[in-house]
Amino acid sequence: MTDVSKAEIAEPILRLRGIGRRFGGLHAVRDVDLDVAHGERRAILGPNGAGKTTLFNVISGDVGPSSGTIDFLGEDVSVLPPRARAKLGMGRTYQKSRSFLGMTVEDNLYLAVLGTRSGHFRPISLRKRDGEMRDRARELADAVGLGGRFGELVGSLSHGEQRQLEVGMARASNPHLMMLDEPASGLSRGERVALTELLLSLDPAITLILIEHDMDVALRVADRVTMMHDGRVIVEGTPDEIRANQTVHDLYLGRGNHSDV
Amino acid sequence: MTRITPDRVVGIGALVLAVIAPFIVSSYWVGALLTQMLFLGIVAASLIFLSAYGGMISLAQVAVYGIAGFVVGNATTNGNTKGLNLGWNPWWGVIAGIAIAVGVGLLFGALASRSVGIYFLMITLTYSVIANLTFGQVTDVSGFGGISGIPAPGAIGRVEAHQNRLYYVALVAAFLVYLLLRYVARTPFGLTLQGVRDDPIRMASLGYNVNLHRTIAFGFASFVASIGGVLFVWWNGHIDPASIDLGATIDVLVIAVIGGLYRLEGAWVGALFFVIVNNYSQQISFIGPRFHTLIGAIFLLIVLVSPGGLVGLWERALELASGTHKEPSDRTPIEVGPVESHV
Ligand SMILES: Nc1ncnc2c1ncn2[C@@H]1O[C@H](COP(=O)(O)OP(=O)(O)O)[C@@H](O)[C@H]1O
Ligand SMILES: [Mg+2]
Repeated sequence: MTDVSKAEIAEPILRLRGIGRRFGGLHAVRDVDLDVAHGERRAILGPNGAGKTTLFNVISGDVGPSSGTIDFLGEDVSVLPPRARAKLGMGRTYQKSRSFLGMTVEDNLYLAVLGTRSGHFRPISLRKRDGEMRDRARELADAVGLGGRFGELVGSLSHGEQRQLEVGMARASNPHLMMLDEPASGLSRGERVALTELLLSLDPAITLILIEHDMDVALRVADRVTMMHDGRVIVEGTPDEIRANQTVHDLYLGRGNHSDV
Repeated sequence: MTRITPDRVVGIGALVLAVIAPFIVSSYWVGALLTQMLFLGIVAASLIFLSAYGGMISLAQVAVYGIAGFVVGNATTNGNTKGLNLGWNPWWGVIAGIAIAVGVGLLFGALASRSVGIYFLMITLTYSVIANLTFGQVTDVSGFGGISGIPAPGAIGRVEAHQNRLYYVALVAAFLVYLLLRYVARTPFGLTLQGVRDDPIRMASLGYNVNLHRTIAFGFASFVASIGGVLFVWWNGHIDPASIDLGATIDVLVIAVIGGLYRLEGAWVGALFFVIVNNYSQQISFIGPRFHTLIGAIFLLIVLVSPGGLVGLWERALELASGTHKEPSDRTPIEVGPVESHV
């Protein structure tokens, strides 16, 4: 972070103002302001239906906002399509895996690498260019612990491996901002530890926004936490402040198996 | 790379048979049935490519093939009562026919690219109806009588006199189309297309222009279909609106489904089956006029027994023979319903 200019430190990488999203009469997200700094690790918490995924979809462009603006890297991206935001440097995963089950791990990562480069319509294989992208795919597979499954069909991977692949795909474009929607959901205890290590090992220059139900994962990885409820942001603070916050306890930590955090 | 698999053996065997066919079957078979099988197979292959790799079941392939055929007809004939009578060299006709068919295909693709499933099917059906009516009504380019006396290039000669020449030209074209489609599937363009087929939303957030990709794929499939159209008018010497009517459109869909919508080989398997059944059913007086009832019944039977068509039956037979149950298939079943609403 030492080489980041003052202007960049002052300017958040992502700035949301007054973001709202309605589905018919339902306010899935309302009036959200959010600033995320360069290199920050932000966790978004909140009960099911709080609007976390919808907020991600609005940021990535998968759904348009009903109101408000989204600035990314100082540029208003509110009306840009998802592909343009990807090219500016957003990478994301989905709560429900969206890798290509009928293709190999290699081809999935290859497509993720190619996505933000030119040559989508090239109808011939070029040894050098494609070889370079496949080398990059191999590196990514190794980095997320799938080096040994490189040639396997994704449909034959375990759930945990598919989640690892998603992280690899989100990283493939070297994004400035990476958004992970519940990357630990459905993972075993051991797999969650491995995933936490993977997230902690990410290049510190990458900004990370993480939706996560698992407090062990979220509070270890995050340096700031945003709590959502009923479409609104209700609390924002450091992990310690969140642990100490009464509202959070009432809404979230106080219930069920996370009360020991 | 050069493992001997049953697929390869059958494939090479079929190719060898196709090459020596003129020496072992009658000239009627070569001229009437096998040549027709080859160009219908090319059109069906364009449909199978779009459906297997792009998830788009198009009913416009015959319209595009007809556009290429009508352009060739208008460009290369002289002395028709209707049409442009340009009298060009047949090779210029080929270039013009393919170029215009691809251009129209890109336009068709651009308009349909936002739709999926049944909506895509309906839009492409509309194209086929529009093409049929346009050529029927615009007498400057055709009219109901169509264009006659369309010549093949000099090297191929008069088709009635040299049936084998056109047959071999069609065979080479079909083989090249097959190799091209297989090759393209593994290129960045083809892999991207398969990604768009499986999950357009994911592809968009990876940086891809989903609609443009669908459009270009449609244009590419139009290129393939137009090759079939050129061969058709050389073979037939004549094209009229009935050559591309709803019946012809459905025939190609039937060929693709009977052969197998998941594999390119299915195009020619289905086409061979179709032309043989068509030919021999005409000789049975009870069935002759009811050919479409017969082929419809076969269609239904095959859809029920083997969604992968005849090629699918072959694959299943292989599985049974080797006692293996296949790994999860690398072909995603084709979605006919809307995949997911785009907000
Ligand atoms: N595409 C959609 N159409 C209609 N309602 C939606 C859609 N997406 C989300 N919602 C609704 O918005 C609310 C917030 O959902 P979501 O953002 O998925 O919450 P979270 O990720 O916090 O669990 C839920 O009530 C959900 O049913
Ligand atoms: Mg969610």
